[in-house]
Amino acid sequence: MDPATLVPTPDTIPVAWGWFQFLLMLTFVLHLLVMNAMLGSGIIALATHLTHPGGSPAICRLTAGKLTYLIAFAVNFGVAPLLFLQVLYGQFLYTSSVLMAWHWLAVVGLLILAYASAYVYSHNYKPLGSGRCGVLWLVVAPLLLIGFIFSNNMTLMLHPETWRHYFDHPTGTLLNLSDPILIPGYLHAVVASVAIGGLFLALVARFQRHDNTRNAEKQIATGLRWFSIATLVQLWIGAWLLGAQPDPVRAFLLGGSPLAATLLALSVVGGLTAVGLAFSHKLLPTVGVTVLTVVLMALVRDLMRRAYLAPYFSPADLSVAQQTQYGLLALFFVLLLATLATIIYMLRLAAVANREVR
Amino acid sequence: MNYPVWQLDTAGGGLLIAAIAVFHVYISHFAVGGGLFLVVTEMKGYREKSAAILDYTHRHAKFFLLTSMVLGGMTGVGIWFTISLLTPAATSTLIHNFVFGWAIEWLFFVGEIVALFIYYYTFGRMNRRDHLRVGWLYFLFAWLSLFVINGIIGCMLTPGKWLTSQNFWDGFFNPTFWPALALRTTLALMLAGLFGFVTATTLKEDGLRERMVRYCALWLLAPFAFFLASAYWYAAALPQPLYAHIFQRAPELAAYVRTFLTLSPILFAGGLLMAIRLPGRVKKPLAAAMLLLGLVYMGSFEFIREGGRRPYIIYDHTYSTSIAKADVARLQEEGFLNTARWIKNRKVDDTNRLAAGREVYNNLCLPCHSIGGPMHDILPLTAHDTPLSLDAKLRGMGRADTYMPPFAGNDDDRAALTAFILQGLQHRPLEPPAAPAALTPVAAEAPSPFDAATDGYVLLAWAEFGLNEATDADHLFGLLPAANRLNAQLIRRGETPELVRDGVALAFTIGDQSGTLPPTDSEALYSTQVTPLSPYPTPDTYQPYPVVTVEARDKATNQLLATTKTVLPVITELGCKNCHGGPWRVAGQTGLSDVTARNILAAHDRLSRTDLLARAKAGKPAACRECHADPRFTAPGDPARLNLSAAIHGFHAPYTEGHAGAAACHLCHGTDPQGASRAFRGIHHAAGLDCSNCHGTMADNAISLLQPEVEAGKTEAVRLLGHLTTATTSPDEIRPRRPWLNEPDCLTCHQAFGPPETDSAFNAWNEEEATLYRNRSDESGILRCAACHNSAHALYPAENPSQAQRDNLVPRQYQNSPYPMGADRGCPVCHIEPMDTEMHHANSLRMMRNR
Repeated sequence: MDPATLVPTPDTIPVAWGWFQFLLMLTFVLHLLVMNAMLGSGIIALATHLTHPGGSPAICRLTAGKLTYLIAFAVNFGVAPLLFLQVLYGQFLYTSSVLMAWHWLAVVGLLILAYASAYVYSHNYKPLGSGRCGVLWLVVAPLLLIGFIFSNNMTLMLHPETWRHYFDHPTGTLLNLSDPILIPGYLHAVVASVAIGGLFLALVARFQRHDNTRNAEKQIATGLRWFSIATLVQLWIGAWLLGAQPDPVRAFLLGGSPLAATLLALSVVGGLTAVGLAFSHKLLPTVGVTVLTVVLMALVRDLMRRAYLAPYFSPADLSVAQQTQYGLLALFFVLLLATLATIIYMLRLAAVANREVR
Repeated sequence: MNYPVWQLDTAGGGLLIAAIAVFHVYISHFAVGGGLFLVVTEMKGYREKSAAILDYTHRHAKFFLLTSMVLGGMTGVGIWFTISLLTPAATSTLIHNFVFGWAIEWLFFVGEIVALFIYYYTFGRMNRRDHLRVGWLYFLFAWLSLFVINGIIGCMLTPGKWLTSQNFWDGFFNPTFWPALALRTTLALMLAGLFGFVTATTLKEDGLRERMVRYCALWLLAPFAFFLASAYWYAAALPQPLYAHIFQRAPELAAYVRTFLTLSPILFAGGLLMAIRLPGRVKKPLAAAMLLLGLVYMGSFEFIREGGRRPYIIYDHTYSTSIAKADVARLQEEGFLNTARWIKNRKVDDTNRLAAGREVYNNLCLPCHSIGGPMHDILPLTAHDTPLSLDAKLRGMGRADTYMPPFAGNDDDRAALTAFILQGLQHRPLEPPAAPAALTPVAAEAPSPFDAATDGYVLLAWAEFGLNEATDADHLFGLLPAANRLNAQLIRRGETPELVRDGVALAFTIGDQSGTLPPTDSEALYSTQVTPLSPYPTPDTYQPYPVVTVEARDKATNQLLATTKTVLPVITELGCKNCHGGPWRVAGQTGLSDVTARNILAAHDRLSRTDLLARAKAGKPAACRECHADPRFTAPGDPARLNLSAAIHGFHAPYTEGHAGAAACHLCHGTDPQGASRAFRGIHHAAGLDCSNCHGTMADNAISLLQPEVEAGKTEAVRLLGHLTTATTSPDEIRPRRPWLNEPDCLTCHQAFGPPETDSAFNAWNEEEATLYRNRSDESGILRCAACHNSAHALYPAENPSQAQRDNLVPRQYQNSPYPMGADRGCPVCHIEPMDTEMHHANSLRMMRNR
């Protein structure tokens, strides 16, 4: 069965595909950063609990203070890229989702469990005592599982040639376990989370240091250390991931596409630079270079996706509908600015309120 | 068909979306109304300088935060995941058309989350003015997100101009946008009160608890009238076919509408009850009960809305099966298995029929019908089906009814699906067709005596209807009573014979019954309705052609002037059981059983919201002609409804399409040449004609009957007509006719009474009742046509299935031949002498053509 015949016909798009590409990249990076901070700080806090049984290390307190916000915004910022991903690649994503339907739907239940547990961890941190670690497991384990499910779906959508397994397993139980990039890709995301999580916690400590000056420097150092080690491990995982790619994709990344090769090279440089800055305890420059590196990596990932799908499809193939919606696009940007302004206003009010209390 | 189908079976039929969606919608409306509740209650706390109220508001805000963030937000994502899994094609359509709507809604969600976090976590720390501002901003963002999603959901139900323009704003501001927005906003406020009960009833201090519970009751009760007004507005804004479908037709929605209407006063009363002073330990479970009640209430509304949209997922655009309306005709032509993308078994043969049928089922049935689960479980629905009945249902669906899509496949797809359902799911073998059931032969009936030399009279008798059917389940419902009209004319023989008009008394006996035939006004016709008429000489023998003996006596002297016999048919071999199930009532070959009759009534009750079955069970069975006009029995019926024949044929025509020509007629009428009655038995049958030569095909017949009903402005006739296709004539060329009054006529083929010029008498009706064959007389205006030729469907010479010559008793008596009276230049039967003028009709002075 020719896999191309299984790829559904895409619908028309309301404006040129480049707009959706831009919005996808922008919102995906936002989601990635918050999601990494969420998972990473959870993992770091859990690991810290495990090495300090019964205690209340500062890193964990920091995490407890932020975890519920991180989850809320990780999910919320995940909505937008999922939306734009469906516009550009819906015919692949819906299909792979159906093939692994029960796993995909389980994400919702796992998310509710993780989020509810995060509130318990956060609001009841002190009274929980030694129970904190157990509750944090109920946050981190489901999130790790969710990440694995996402890794499966995002890679399964790139392999129409494996979709024929549906005919023997139509009940939504498939995964993409035989794909050599699944495990390194998943680990890449998890380890990246640890790195970003460490950086995030360091940032939080930095901005709260007027509350707790003595420990702030220690927490910043801890956070930076997690970041550095994770990023160095990341280099090895990255190499594994690169090696696991199919030959055409690897060739594409390493020279076939000058753009991809440049971005990849710059990302590696960025990562190493960030590690260097971290070792020098230069927190804000580390954050800056890291964010830039994440942006570059997200672009590489997008190019990689297009390399996988090249035999079947390119977003440039999508037809724009007769009735275009550029007016709505403009309205969206206007409302984006308005919402942003309102949020900044509200954050200012909150900052004032917090300062006044102090 | 563009996407693979998630084979869910037990959890199929939309169970997952129903579960997640009702839950999410409940919480999300609370997330909107509750926002206003928080800020207004906070203002109340400031106004009354009450730290207790502010403290309550703070606590409620925590409850609100957890509920809306954890449960509300996550299940919202859950809906999105679920619809992508269950109907990816429709989801893709909506996403690609309304992406900016969802993107804008997302912006509002971000604002909502930030506002709510700040509102809760700075409670008591931020100054009043700013804190209230944050609260108002939360409510604004929340209500705006409702505003946006309302537009998209509304477009799915009432797309309005979007269907043709594909313009975002046409779809967004669709016909039900504003009433739905009003409904959801008022509901959100009511739910704020309902959820408020949960926290208010936990307040420890009695006085405060009572005040706050009463306060929450106000939130529930005050918007109620506006909510109901919005619901009324919403219903009124629905375009007509949708309104009729939801409130007058769709069988399952009746229960949800009833639930909604019943729960409205109960919920209101519950709110009043909450306002009464009661101890906390009573109020808490009461609050929980109210919350549950609210969920069921909301659920009933959502089920009405979702169920009302069926068979579409996007109304008039995409069916629930993810098949575009525009693609159905092509799929019916080219086949679903041939055309759809994710199919393994494209070519069906004996080795893969069940597997192919499973693929058809997954795509065309599973979106609504679970297998063994709670949603429209297909197993009980097809438990009594046969290959014939299931094939009929698959042809009639979406055409005779309004709540299913039309079957989007061809005959091969249908056959595969039937095999899958009956063999694969019901584990029944596909039965071979039943063996023919012949009538038990009877001894030949001898004609009455006649002496051509001495007898002075010729008595002609005939049945009004040669094909005369009766439903023998009158204790359950009355479709066709067991009755037939017996007609007679008495001729005094002579060179100029005369019809005897007075001085004679005609009487009949049939079985144990006897009676008289009084004279009528016209042409010395003696006639009477014989009823009841029974085809059962004993309870388990079937004789649909009982013989009636007629005698003519001189009134003054009582002298017997003439006697004759003829057949008075009453046929109970009606094929309702072919689709409606149940056994034959009598002798395994005829009769309407109680099971079949009850199934028919149940189907009618479901589809037309009647209570016929209940009435029948209560001993007050209805007759169809009480509502459906029936000219045969001069029943006027209800003028708003279709007449009986138009209703039955118009409704059933799509179901019978698998049976070409007369085979469709044989499904119901006792005319099956393999059946017991074989009621079409006259000369035309011997000549090789069938029902369709005169009456047209089932669809043609239905169209001719529906057209006058369309002209009379009956919308149901328009609806049924729209689903009929005819292969023979274009619908515009089919002439309207009233049942029993406008029928095919002999002279259409037998022009100038000659041999037939054509073999199709369809579409040329007599003008009025008096000119029907059965009411007409010859050119001399004296003798009824049927007196010499017999009733239609049994024209001389007829071949009777119980004994070959049984129908021809009259001509055999007078002529020693089964042919029409006077055949073979047999004028001397009445005229004594041979004649040379064609007085009765042209072409009558000739030898019989058909021997």
